[in-house]
Amino acid sequence: MDLLVHGFATVLQPQIFFILVAGTLGGIIIGSLPGLTATMGVALLTPLTFSLPPATGLVMLCGIYCGAIYGGSISAILIRTPGTPAAAATVFDGNELAKKGLAGKALGMSAIASCAGGVFSALCLTFIAPELARVALSFSSPEYFAMGLLGLSIVASISGDYVVRGLISACIGLLVGLVGLDNLNGYPRFTFGLVDLLNGVSFIPVLIGLFAVSEALRTTESMLKTAHVDFKLSGVLPSFSELRGCAKTILKSSAIGTMIGIIPATGGDIAAFLAYGEAKRSSKNGEKFGTGELEGVAAPEAANNGVTGGALIPLMTLGIPGDAVTAIFLGALMLQGLRPGPLLFKDNAELVYAIFAGMFLANIIFMLFGLFAIKYIARVINIPKPILTPIIFVLCIVGSYSINNSMFDLLVMMFFGVLGYLMDKFKFPVSPIVLALILGPMVEGEFRRSLLLSSGSFSIFFTRPICVAILTLTVFSVVGAYIQQRKKHRLLKLEN
Amino acid sequence: MKKTWAMVAMVLVVSLMLVVAGCGGGAKPAEKAPEAPKFPTKQIEIIVPAGAGGGTDMLARAMANKAKDLLGQPVVIVNKPGGSGTVGFTAGQTAKPDGYTVTMFFAEIVIVPHLGIAQADHKLFVPIMRVNMDPAAITVKADAPWKTLKEFLDYAKANPGKVRMGNSGPGSIWHLAAATVEDKTGVKFNHVPYGGAAPAVTALLGGAIEAVAVSPAEVGAQVASGKLKILGVMSDKREKAFPEVKTFKEQGYEVVVGTWRGLGVPKGTPEPVVKILHDAFKKAMDDPGFIAQADKLGLGLAYLNAADFTKFMDADFANYAKLVDKLGLKQQKK
Repeated sequence: MDLLVHGFATVLQPQIFFILVAGTLGGIIIGSLPGLTATMGVALLTPLTFSLPPATGLVMLCGIYCGAIYGGSISAILIRTPGTPAAAATVFDGNELAKKGLAGKALGMSAIASCAGGVFSALCLTFIAPELARVALSFSSPEYFAMGLLGLSIVASISGDYVVRGLISACIGLLVGLVGLDNLNGYPRFTFGLVDLLNGVSFIPVLIGLFAVSEALRTTESMLKTAHVDFKLSGVLPSFSELRGCAKTILKSSAIGTMIGIIPATGGDIAAFLAYGEAKRSSKNGEKFGTGELEGVAAPEAANNGVTGGALIPLMTLGIPGDAVTAIFLGALMLQGLRPGPLLFKDNAELVYAIFAGMFLANIIFMLFGLFAIKYIARVINIPKPILTPIIFVLCIVGSYSINNSMFDLLVMMFFGVLGYLMDKFKFPVSPIVLALILGPMVEGEFRRSLLLSSGSFSIFFTRPICVAILTLTVFSVVGAYIQQRKKHRLLKLEN
Repeated sequence: MKKTWAMVAMVLVVSLMLVVAGCGGGAKPAEKAPEAPKFPTKQIEIIVPAGAGGGTDMLARAMANKAKDLLGQPVVIVNKPGGSGTVGFTAGQTAKPDGYTVTMFFAEIVIVPHLGIAQADHKLFVPIMRVNMDPAAITVKADAPWKTLKEFLDYAKANPGKVRMGNSGPGSIWHLAAATVEDKTGVKFNHVPYGGAAPAVTALLGGAIEAVAVSPAEVGAQVASGKLKILGVMSDKREKAFPEVKTFKEQGYEVVVGTWRGLGVPKGTPEPVVKILHDAFKKAMDDPGFIAQADKLGLGLAYLNAADFTKFMDADFANYAKLVDKLGLKQQKK
C-alpha cells in the first residue's frame, strides 16, 4: 500500500503528470481516428520514451494505451466508424443513439463505462496480479478454441431479427478469414497468387469498409434523394438512474474484459463482443439491443478498457505480452534496461507502482476529458452531411492505407464498403462478418493446434475442466438463443 | 561618347555573364564524373517487413535514428508486415533501384522461396551489410526431467514424435532451427507452430508443450525468474547474457542456426550509392548509443560486409532448401 501511495506521488509530480495528460489526450485522438489504432499509437511513440526517464516514458505509454481504447468509441458513436477494432461492438447501439439525437448520452456512457472498466482492471492489476497470472497459463489451445466458439455463438444475438441472414453473414466472415497463409502448415489459401493476400485480408480495412464506407454511401444516397435532414442534438449526459441501471452490466463487462485481457493473444475486440453478447443475454431490455440501448454502449466500452489492465498482468508478472500493445510495452521496458517478470516487482517496485498509478490516473483523465468535451465533440453530428461525408471518406482512406502502408488495403476497404452497403439494402446484418473474421481464424487454428498437441486425439477437448466449462456454456448459449427465438415466434403467432 | 561607353559596358557584362554561365554549364558534368553522386538529396525509406514494435522494427528504428544525422536526410521506417515477411521483401526488391528504398530483411527471406509460395528472393537484393544475428536455443521448463541437452535429445530419440517442440510459425526460422536439430541428431519432434515466439513461450510455461526453439532473448525474462531453463544455444560461442549456458558444439552437437537481419537495396542500385549507405549505416552501428540499445533489447550485433553476407545467405539458402523438403513444407507448384 505504501508503495502504491509512493507510486501516485511519483506520477503526480508536475512533469510526469503533464506527460501523462498529454499521452492520454494524444491517445484519445489516435484512438478516435479510424486506422490509427492503440497499437500503432504506442508503437510510434515508443521511440520518444527512449530519452525519457523510465517512469515518465512508461506512464506516457499507459496514457496513450488507455486513451486510445476509449477514443475508439467516439468515432464509433458519432460517425459509425470504430476508431479501433476494440470499438467495433460499440457501433451497434452507440451510433443508433446518436441517430436518435442522444449522442451526448452515448458519449457520456462510453466515458463512464470505459473509466469503470479501466479502473476495475487497474485494481486487479495492482492487487491480485500474481494470482490472476496463473489463469493466463492455464489457457492452452483447447481453451482458446472453446472461447472462440463461445464468441461465435453470439452471432445469433447480434443478428437482430434476421437470424438466418446473420448466419449467412457469419459464413462470409469465416470464408474471408480463411484467406492467407494457414497458420499451421503455411499453406496459401485463396490468395490467387497475390502477395498482398498472403497475410490474409487485413482486418481494419474490412472494418472501416463495412461500417464507415457503407454508411457514407448510404448518406450520399439519402442526400441525393431527400432534402437536408438534420440530426437533433442533445448534449444531455446519462442521468443517475440510467447509470444505476447499467451498473451491473458495467461491472460484469469490466470483469469479462479484464479476464480476456489476461489471456494472451486475445484482445479488446473479442472482449467487447463477448461482453455485448452477455449483456444482451442477461438484460431485461435484451430485445432492444441494437436499436440504441445505453447498456449496449456500456458493455463493450467497459470490457475493452477492462482489457488494458488485464493485458498488463501477464506482462508484468510473467514477462509475457498478452497482445500487440503489451508486446511493444515489453520492448519499451527492455530498452529502459528493465526485465518484466517477478523480478521486476522486487528490483523496481517503485517503477511498477508508478505504472499502476499511471493506469488509474489515465482512466480518470480520459473520463473527465470525455465528459467535459462531449458538448463540443458531439457537434460533429451537426456538420452538414455534404461536408461531413467527404471528410469521413478521406479519413477512411487514410486510415485503411496507414495500417500496412498498402494500396491493396484501399481496394479491400472499397470492396467491403460496397458489400456492406448492398448487404444493408437486402437486410443482411454486417456485424457477424466482423465477428467471424476476428474469431474464425482463432477457432480453426486453435482447433488444429489442439489436435497437434494431443497427437490427433479428440479427448483433449473433454478432459480439461476449463475447456469443458466453456464448451458447456457455448451449448447453453446456442440452445438458449434458439428457445428464445421459438418463444418469440409463438408469441407473434398468438398475436396474429 | 557616353553611349559608346555604355555599349562597351553592356557588351562586357553580357560576355561576362555568358562566360560564367558557360563555365558553370561546363563545370557541372566535370565535377560529377569523378566525385560521388549527390546522394541522398531526399528522405530515405527503410522497409521493415514486420509489424511496428517487434525486434526488427526496433532495430531499424534505432539505426535510422543514428543514420539520419550521418546521411543528412530523414530516414523513415515503413512497416510492411505479412506472410512471414514476404510482403515487405517483395515490396523492397521491386522498388526503384535508386538507393532511397532500403529494406531490412531477415532470415525468412532464404526460407520462404523454398515454400513455393513467394516471389521473394535474396538474390534480387544488393546486400549492404548484415546487422544482427541471434542463435536459436532449446529451452524447457525449469522443473523438466532433463538436466542437459544430451539427456533431452536421448529422450527425444527414444520417444520419436513425443516431444512437442513449439516454434513461432510454420516455415519460420525457429521451425527450421528445430528441424536442423532433427537433421543433425536423428531425433524426431512433434513441431507445434504458434503465432509468434511469445505464444509459444506461454504454452511452454503452461505445460502444453515440452520445449521451444526460440532465441535466448525471447525466453530471457522467464529464465531469469527461474521458470525456464536453456539447455543449449545453437551458436559458435556462448551468449553474452547467459554465459553459463553451453553451446550445442560444446555438448557434442554440430548445430549452428540462428536468425539474422541485414540491410539491402534492390538490384541495379549504383555502387557508389550502396557505398554511401553502407558507410552511414556502419557508422550508425558503431555508435555507442546504438550498441547500448541493441544490448538492452537482447539483439546480438554481428556485422558482416556485403561480400561475406552474400556468401552467408547463399549457404543458409542451400541448407534450408534441403530442410523444407524434409519437413514436407513445400507447396505444390502449379
